[in-house]
Amino acid sequence: MNNYLWLVRREFWENRAIWMIPAAIGAVLILAALFGHVDMLTLPPQLPSNAVGQLFLVAVGATFFAVMSIYSTWYLLDCLYADRKDRSVLFFKSMPISDAATVLSKLLTALIVIPLVYFAAADLTTLTMAFIVSVRANSAVGGALWHGDLWLQLQACWLYLIVTTAIWYLPVGAYLLVISAWAKRAVMLWSILPPLALLLTERWFLGTHVLANELGARLIGYAPIAFHVNQGDSAWVTTVTEHDTIRTPANIWSLMDAPGFFSNPGTWIGVAVGVALIFCAVQLRMRRTEI
Amino acid sequence: MPALIEARDLTKKYGGYVALDRANFCVQSGRIVGLIGPNGAGKTSALRAILGLTAYDGHLKVLGREPFRERALLMQDACFIADVAVLPAWLRVDQAIDFVAGVHPRFRRERASALLRKTQIGGKRRMRELSKGMKTQVHLALTMAIDAKLLVLDEPTLGLDILARSAFYDALVNDYMDEARTILITTHQVEEVENLLTDVLFIDRGRIVLDSSLEDIATRYAAVAVAPDRIEEARAGKPFFERRMLGKVILYFEQPDFEKLAGFGELHTPSVADLFVAKLSGGAE
Repeated sequence: MNNYLWLVRREFWENRAIWMIPAAIGAVLILAALFGHVDMLTLPPQLPSNAVGQLFLVAVGATFFAVMSIYSTWYLLDCLYADRKDRSVLFFKSMPISDAATVLSKLLTALIVIPLVYFAAADLTTLTMAFIVSVRANSAVGGALWHGDLWLQLQACWLYLIVTTAIWYLPVGAYLLVISAWAKRAVMLWSILPPLALLLTERWFLGTHVLANELGARLIGYAPIAFHVNQGDSAWVTTVTEHDTIRTPANIWSLMDAPGFFSNPGTWIGVAVGVALIFCAVQLRMRRTEI
Repeated sequence: MPALIEARDLTKKYGGYVALDRANFCVQSGRIVGLIGPNGAGKTSALRAILGLTAYDGHLKVLGREPFRERALLMQDACFIADVAVLPAWLRVDQAIDFVAGVHPRFRRERASALLRKTQIGGKRRMRELSKGMKTQVHLALTMAIDAKLLVLDEPTLGLDILARSAFYDALVNDYMDEARTILITTHQVEEVENLLTDVLFIDRGRIVLDSSLEDIATRYAAVAVAPDRIEEARAGKPFFERRMLGKVILYFEQPDFEKLAGFGELHTPSVADLFVAKLSGGAE
């Protein structure tokens, strides 16, 4: 356990971008709130203030989440490759740390620790922005951002998101680690080629797209399984304005579909595939010390 | 007491290339062993196998453990420095100490700090800012602060100037080495380590061609410089190698008749470097 603490700390030393990128995003958003024309933000008056807050919090959260997904992907591809490239792997292998612990610490960092950092950054940013906007603008916008209840709901939503994405994307993360532990160069390219080759082979020789469907379901199929996205009217509030229709969740709690997520066979098939891929990554890590 | 390192039929293949070809050797506790061989002889493969960095065939036990399967456990009692300074560029000196102190149960932080204070390398410096020699010094300070039973050094002084090299070996022998420790060292600078080695292992084309203590070398090998007119007479003793030098011919013998040989000139025990050249060139005949 103590070793994992040091291994994760080591990731922060090596990859300062883990906290610098979310800090930069937060800084830009806060600067925008400080110096931007917040009063010009016009919202349809029909929109309930609760919905305004939701839109704001979700928009900021989504920004952080999108950047985090890209960064984590890059991190996973790089982490078992970079130290082989600069040969520092030999230093780390001279320490009494198993290769399994090393691989698991990278996965832990990418799937749990980095999301927590972004989560904290998003929270700090939204709170600071809400404070600035409510001081600067005497509009509904300012007031709408102070919904303690809403904010708490969003915290729960973030934590739910971190846990469920970590489980859902475990096979993807483990696959990236396999490539990272294996490739001699061009990790990015190598991460795309094997699945692409498999997809094309299946298509040309069998004329089917089972793999493509499975892969697609894994990559973009998360939201419909973890959330009531297509739920009926009860979970959503629809506001019709002159120009368009805005749909906002009635309650964030009711959106999260934990029973659906955990009872979905796809969730557990993914975990099984992920464990097998982690095993592969550890075996590769034991054998590959050089580029 | 069982040997600290015990290798039987140790074999390592890379595709069709055989880097280690059924190598057999033992390293006893408390010795300073030089693993010496030409480039591509299998030195690095042997060290990699001993340190659990690579899979292998054959029997290999280091400190009673199987290195490849039990590397993490082995590294509690063994430590190594690979051939070049490999500390990561982004690591700060103080972070390096914190990290090793955090994960290594046998690391003595005060000792590492004391060693580093002698070098005038600041704790906040990153490895990328340090010269190769300084990086090696940091790595040595970290490694020498670990109470390990086995220390493996692969070309440890590469990139160090003469003063730093000599300081390193002095520290190794005077401060680090004691009867509880064993050092396995490879280097191209055989002359540099000759005086501190207790044993040598010569490796050539994946096989161990000599496994001997230095005392045994003195009783087993002899070299004698013979004048050209008596060369045929001396050759009757079956030297395994000869080389010309300053008008004389130096003949190398294994298990010779010392008394008979003394009649040809002054006998001497060949240096490790000379014996290495003799053994490896002689084997080609």
